[in-house]
Amino acid sequence: MKYLFFLLTLLVITLSSLQAQPVKVGSKKFTESVILGEAITQNLRSDDISAIHKDQLGGTRLLWNALVQGELDIYPDYTGTIIHEILQEETINSTDELRQALGTMGIKMTAHLGFNNTYAIGVAPETARKYNLKSISDLRGHDQLRFGFTNEFMDREDGWPSLRDHYQLPQSNVRGLDHDLAYKGLEAGSIDLIDLYSTDAEIAYYQLAILKDDLQHFPDYRAVILYRADLVERIPNIDEFLGQFSGVISETQMIQMNSAVKLNGLPEAQVAQDFLQKHFNISSRVETSSRLTRLIDTTQEHLFLVILSLSAAILVAIPLGIWGARNASLGQVILSTVGVIQTIPSLALLVFMIPLLGIGGPPALVALFLYSLLPIVRNTISGLTGIPLDIRESALALGLPASARLKLIELPLATQSILAGIKTSAVINVGTATLGALIGAGGYGQPILTGIRLDDTALILEGAIPAAALALLVQWGFDLAERTLLSPGLQITQESSS
Amino acid sequence: MIKLDHIRKIFDGNEVIHDLSLDIPDQKTVVLIGPSGCGKSTLLRLMIGLLWPDKGSISLFRKTLTRENAELLRQQVGFVLQDGGLFPHLTAAQNISLMAKYLNRPIEWIEGRLIELCELTHLSRSILDRYPRQLSGGQVQRVALMRALMLDPEILFLDEPLGALDPLHRVGLQEDMKAIFNRLGKTVVMVTHDMGEAASLGDLIVMMRGGHILQHDTLSNLSANPSDPFVTEFINAQRKPWRHLEDQIQ
Repeated sequence: MKYLFFLLTLLVITLSSLQAQPVKVGSKKFTESVILGEAITQNLRSDDISAIHKDQLGGTRLLWNALVQGELDIYPDYTGTIIHEILQEETINSTDELRQALGTMGIKMTAHLGFNNTYAIGVAPETARKYNLKSISDLRGHDQLRFGFTNEFMDREDGWPSLRDHYQLPQSNVRGLDHDLAYKGLEAGSIDLIDLYSTDAEIAYYQLAILKDDLQHFPDYRAVILYRADLVERIPNIDEFLGQFSGVISETQMIQMNSAVKLNGLPEAQVAQDFLQKHFNISSRVETSSRLTRLIDTTQEHLFLVILSLSAAILVAIPLGIWGARNASLGQVILSTVGVIQTIPSLALLVFMIPLLGIGGPPALVALFLYSLLPIVRNTISGLTGIPLDIRESALALGLPASARLKLIELPLATQSILAGIKTSAVINVGTATLGALIGAGGYGQPILTGIRLDDTALILEGAIPAAALALLVQWGFDLAERTLLSPGLQITQESSS
Repeated sequence: MIKLDHIRKIFDGNEVIHDLSLDIPDQKTVVLIGPSGCGKSTLLRLMIGLLWPDKGSISLFRKTLTRENAELLRQQVGFVLQDGGLFPHLTAAQNISLMAKYLNRPIEWIEGRLIELCELTHLSRSILDRYPRQLSGGQVQRVALMRALMLDPEILFLDEPLGALDPLHRVGLQEDMKAIFNRLGKTVVMVTHDMGEAASLGDLIVMMRGGHILQHDTLSNLSANPSDPFVTEFINAQRKPWRHLEDQIQ
């Protein structure tokens, strides 16, 4: 177990030192953030600075932690989010105060990029007409309305709870869902009202009515770029460099860029390139990849995650299971511990691990490793404890020592159960590994995530079909392994002849 | 060779063996018999260290059985269970030779011994390449007996070895076992609830009831001088069905 931990640490160090060279730009998993991240990255590259774009990462907290830990160097965010969500310092009133607060944490901030992407509350035009809704205050009399908010909005400091208190809203039918799916829900009529970003392309597309924030609940969400103060050591003119973006993107322009991606289906890289060309007269290279190369890349990333995390889980879970089978109360402790791990939501687990492991492959590997333990441990314990009493007595009566009983009798008899546990873990692992995309580890989750964001079914399938195929392949592989590894004596059904 | 000295065994607060002492003479077949729950199987497991007494001591080969020496002492005895207790993932031959291989006996020695044992138990060598699930009940018990005899132990413990067999196979194996015990001159301790088996195989019969030994003697002495009415009752009870049958046939 010790040497396994050592190997993992070594792996983490190797991976992080490999990534130490280029400037790492991050973006959140919505289109606007990806476009901005892409523009920053291309701009750096046009100046011959090696840069990589870790796009569509899991959430504000994850990006912020990664920035503070040095796993990211730059990412775009919004003043309202920084004040209310990240710093939670309600007393900050000016840009200077904000800059000062960030400075103490080693983070710098550019001037406003030019647009305000505040939260807004949108309803379908027919709903607005039906209930005569013009402002958020108008919602008070209609407690039957069904709200669908992004999960982030549901528990943000400036999100639903404080909006409800501020406006004294009576609605109780409120659920959390993905932002891109919220538009679909609104269109289908399964929800009446959603939160949205004021620069969303869909507002015009669905002709949504925006309710006026008449009691001024939402703060300003002016776009800025956050970057590490120590980046200046690597790029001396970084302040001026990122400063170029200040004041050049208007709200109309941002909506146009968002529409170009979401409604016209242009790649973010292309939209970012057009923007750079127009404003800075920079012609940057856009690396477009074919579906096949993308598939090969995501397959490699996915296999890397699955194989490494599953192998580590097997090496740890089987000894844990053997240990647990020897002592029933210890077995209970082990099972409940790995069971509790299973209940930790994946994004939460990833956020916990950023301070230890940063972003990218390592935290995804550790999360997958932890999620793979339960089925293997449980089946090892049940396989060993399920050996009939007469077999155990026979093995004891022969005078075999415990280690020989384990090797010659108990493990071979538990093989079927243990293999079944590994198979379950492997199949779940293939599916769960798609969460790797949330933390920049790639894999089949990448096209799925992008596909959901862009409402591009072909792209979703580009991740979902290979993931399903891999799961089937794994299942088939283990069935084959069972036939080879399992003693023929256990594959025969009892004959009734005498 | 086997000595039990003031043994008590408690399960979940109930004493199932009460202050029991017994000497088992060398090279005799001793049958532990009694109704279900009399403690006969528990007593057998205590003798081999599969269970441990709460009071008293047990010695094998004039050595007190302890948790430290149990493994080594078990290697010097043979044990056969009611259902054979064969390892289903190993062939019959692998089952029989498992311990010999573990103790690094030469392969020629093992093969020679398998052939000897086949002859002794009237099984053909080719049957030993089958897995337990491919064997009949009688074959399983013969293989289990071979496994117990493989290292030529001085003591053989058998827990209802014929209990799971149909009457036809039962008689055949019972006769073979009788011949084997006579020929090898082992000390045998066998548990059964069948008086016929006890009569046929046992040199000495230990009649048990409720965790006590009622009487401990040859069958003829048990019949002639019962220490307790139950002894006569138990012996006669098992004869009765036969009497009825004989009456009907006549």
